[in-house]
Amino acid sequence: MDSQEVWNLENGEVKGLSNKDGPHLIRNAHTMSSSSLRKRSDPMLLPKVRCRVLRQFLNNLQEVILGTKLCLLFPAIPLAVLAKCYQFGRPWIFALSLMGLTPLAERVSFLTEQIAYFTGPTVGGLLNATCGNATELIIALFALHQKKILVLKYSLLGSILSNLLLVLGTSLLFGGLANLKKEQLYDRKQADVNSLLLLLGLLCHVLPLMFKYAAWTDTFTAISTLQFSRASSILMLTTYVAYLIFQLKTHRQLFESQEEDEDGDDEKALIGFWSAFSWLVGMTVIIALLSEYVVGTIEAASDSWGVSVSFISIILLPIVGNAAEHAGSIIFAFKNKLDISLGVALGSATQISMFVVPLCVIVAWIMGVAMDLDFSLLETGSLAFAIIITAFALQDGTSHYMKGVVLSLCYIVIAACFFVHKNPSVHQSTTDSLRVVQSSTGVLTA
Amino acid sequence: MASQEPWQMENGNLKGSSKEIKHGRTAHNMSSSSLRKKSDLSLVNKVPCGLVRQLLANLQEVILGTKLSVLFPAIPLAIVAQYYGFAGPWIFGLSLLGLTPLAERLGFLTEQIAYYTGPTVGGLLNATCGNATELIIAIFALSKNKILVVKYSLLGSVLSNLLLVLGTSLFCGGIYNLREEQKYDRKQSDINSLLLLLGLLCHMLPLMFRYAANPSGAALIADSTLSLSRAGSIVMLVAYLAYLVFQLWTHRKLFEAPEDGDDDTVSSDEEPVIGFWSSVVWLILMTAIIALLSEFVVGTIEVASESWGISVSFISIILLPIVGNAAEHAGAVIFAFKNKLDISLGVALGSATQIAMFVVPLCVLVAWIMGIRMDLDFSLLETSSLALAIIVTAFTLQDGSSHYMKGLVLLLCYVVIGACFFVSKTTPDQGNGITPGIKLPTEGVVSA
Repeated sequence: MDSQEVWNLENGEVKGLSNKDGPHLIRNAHTMSSSSLRKRSDPMLLPKVRCRVLRQFLNNLQEVILGTKLCLLFPAIPLAVLAKCYQFGRPWIFALSLMGLTPLAERVSFLTEQIAYFTGPTVGGLLNATCGNATELIIALFALHQKKILVLKYSLLGSILSNLLLVLGTSLLFGGLANLKKEQLYDRKQADVNSLLLLLGLLCHVLPLMFKYAAWTDTFTAISTLQFSRASSILMLTTYVAYLIFQLKTHRQLFESQEEDEDGDDEKALIGFWSAFSWLVGMTVIIALLSEYVVGTIEAASDSWGVSVSFISIILLPIVGNAAEHAGSIIFAFKNKLDISLGVALGSATQISMFVVPLCVIVAWIMGVAMDLDFSLLETGSLAFAIIITAFALQDGTSHYMKGVVLSLCYIVIAACFFVHKNPSVHQSTTDSLRVVQSSTGVLTA
Repeated sequence: MASQEPWQMENGNLKGSSKEIKHGRTAHNMSSSSLRKKSDLSLVNKVPCGLVRQLLANLQEVILGTKLSVLFPAIPLAIVAQYYGFAGPWIFGLSLLGLTPLAERLGFLTEQIAYYTGPTVGGLLNATCGNATELIIAIFALSKNKILVVKYSLLGSVLSNLLLVLGTSLFCGGIYNLREEQKYDRKQSDINSLLLLLGLLCHMLPLMFRYAANPSGAALIADSTLSLSRAGSIVMLVAYLAYLVFQLWTHRKLFEAPEDGDDDTVSSDEEPVIGFWSSVVWLILMTAIIALLSEFVVGTIEVASESWGISVSFISIILLPIVGNAAEHAGAVIFAFKNKLDISLGVALGSATQIAMFVVPLCVLVAWIMGIRMDLDFSLLETSSLALAIIVTAFTLQDGSSHYMKGLVLLLCYVVIGACFFVSKTTPDQGNGITPGIKLPTEGVVSA
C-alpha cells in the first residue's frame, strides 16, 4: 500500500535527519554479522504484477524468505511437519527440524534488526539483546516444559562453549590465515568486560557444584543447591541489566562498530514495521513448533545414531543454532574486522550465560520444577576451562592464527570428551539430585 | 684429513654469504653455547700424523669442549658398577651424573648439524631433539611398563622448566640487574602459555572422567579415558605441528634472538667446529650412551628410592628433571645475568611446551603402538600442581617486564611443590594410581 512506501520514505528522512546527530542505529556487532549473509533482493520481477497489494506482499515475501543464502534450508520446515504428522522415523523428524531451525534463527535476527530501525537505538539494542539468542531460549523453555532438565542444561552450556571456543576460534584462525601479513588488532576493553561477566557466571555454577563434594547429607545438599541457584539467578539477571545499561547507555562508544562507507547501502529498513512484527511473530511460532519436535525426539535420535544425548545437546544443537552467527563472524574476520567477530561471539556467550540460564531457573521456579545451576563436574570443568583460556587469549589486544588454532583444538578435545562419555542417566529425565541418590545405590542399567 | 679443512673453509664462506639467515640460532642453541669453552688446539697441533691430529682435535672439541666435562668419568664408572653388581643406588647415582654432560653435548652436536642443514631444518632438529634425554628415559620406562615413572618424569620436566629454570633465571637476573629495566617480548610467552593451557585441558578432562560420578563401572571409565587420551594426544601433536609452522615459517621474526652489541661474542661461534659427518657419528654414539644410562636409571629407580628413603614419585618428579635439564638451566641463568631475558624465556618456555605438547603425546601414541595402556590422566595432585604452575607462570609473564620478586615467587612455588611430593608417600605400583583419602560422593573413602 502507498502508506507503507510513505512510511519507508519517512523513515529514510528520519534516518537522514538523525545522520547528523552522531551514532547510527544499533549497527552493533550482532546485526552487522548477520547482514553478511543477506543478499540483495532482486526487485525486477515484481513490478510486472499488477495489483499493488499483491506486489507489496510478494515484495515482502521475497525480502523475508529469499533474502538470505540460507533459504535453501527452508524446505526442511514443511518436511519436518509432514514427518511428524505422518509418523516417519523419529531421527528424521529430529534432523529435519534441526535443519529447519538454522535459517529461521537467521531470519529472526534480520527481523529484529528491521524492527530496530523503527524503534530507535536503545530499544533496538534491548531487542537484540533479548532476541539475539531466541532459538536457544525457546529450545530451553520447551525442554523445561517437558521436564528434560539435563537436555536444557547441556544445550545452554553447549551454546556458551560453542560461542567461546568454536566461533571465536575459527574466526581467529581464518582471519589470521587470510591476513598473514597484516597486524590484527582489536579493542580489548570489550573483551575484558565480557570475560568478567562470564567469570561471575562461572562462580555461580562452581559453588553449587562444590556443595555436592562438601560432605553434607544428600537432602541438605539438594535444598541448599536449589536455594542458592535461585538466589544467584536473580543476581545474574541484575548483573545483566547493569551490563545492558553499560553497553547501551553510559559506555556506548566502547561497543560501536567502526563507521565506514560500505555500510551505507544497508541503512534503510527493507520492510515496514508491522510486517516485520508479524513476520517475527510467525517465525517465532514456527521455531517453537520445530523446537518442540527437536526436544521430543532427542532420545530417539540419540539411540538410533549411537551417540549420547549429552553429546547431541552440548555439541550438535548449538552448532546448528549458531550457524548463521558463526558464518558471519568468520566473514568479518576475513575482512580483518576483529571487533565485530569478538562482539558476536563474546556477546552471545555472555547473553546466554547471564540472561538465558538464570531466566530458565526463574521460569522453572515459577513452574515448580527443580532446576538448579549445578551442571555437574565434567561440564562445569569444561566451561571453566573455556572461559579461562578465552580470557587469557584475548587479553593482549592482538591476534594471530595460532590463537584460533588453540581455541578450535580445545573445542575439538571437549567434543571428543563428551563423545566418549556415555552417561546413561541422561536418558532418564530426572533432576540431578535424584541422579546422585540413584548412582549411590549401584550400577544403573542404560 | 686435509679435505675436511677445505670443507670448513667453504663453510666459512657459506656462512659469510648467508649471514642474514641465522643458522638456527634459536634461544636453545644460544643458551647452551654459554657452557662451551674455546678449545685450545695448541697441544693437538704438535702431533705429526694428520689423521690422528684430526681425530684428536675432534675428540677434544667434543669431549672436553664443555665445563661439564668433569662429569664424564661417571659414565664408565656407571657401566663398571652395573656389570660388577654394585649396589643399585650407586648405579643410579652414577648414571644420573653421567647423563648431565651427555645432554649438553647432544645440544651442542645438534647445533653443529644445524649449521650445515639451514635454519628451518635446524630449528626442526632442535625442536625434536632438544629434549632427547627426557624422551629416551620416557621410552625406556614405557618398555619396562613403568607407566607412572613416565608420567611423573615428564610432568616433573614441565614443572622444572616452568618454575625452577624460569624462577632462578628471573631471580638471578633481577638481582644482578637491579638498576636496569628488564623487558622481554610478551608475544612469545603468550603463545607458549596458550599451548600449555591446551595441554592442561587434555590432562584435566580424563582426570575429571574419574570423578564424574559415572555409574557405568570402572572398566568403562578406563576405556573412555584411554580413548579420550589418545584423541587428545593427536590433537596436541597437531597443535605442536601448527606451532612449528608458526615458529619456523610464518612468524619467524617473533622468535628470532635479538641482535645487539654483543655480537662479537656471538659471531665467534658462527663457524661450525666439527664437520657434518663427524657430528652425526658423535650424535649417534652419544644417543646410544644416553640410552644405556637411561636403562640403568629406569631399572634401578625403585632400589634407589627404598635405599635413600624417598618416594619414587619424588625422584621422578624432582630429581630426574633437575639432572636432565642442568645444562639448559645453567644457560638460561647466564643469559638472564646478561639481561637477555628473551633467550631465557625461549629456553624455559620452549622446553616446557615441547615436552607438554610433543613428548607426552608421542609417548601416549608409542604406548598405543606397543599395546600399553598409557593415558593422560596424571591423577589429582600432579595435575593440580601442573595447572597451578601454568597459571602462575602465564600470569607472571603477561606484562612484558620482570624483576627479582617474580623469580622468587616462581622458585618458591617449585619448592612448595617439591615439599608436597617429598611428604606424599604414594606407592606407585598400583596400576591406575588411585590417590588415597579423596572422598568421592558415590564411592566412599578409597583406602591406599
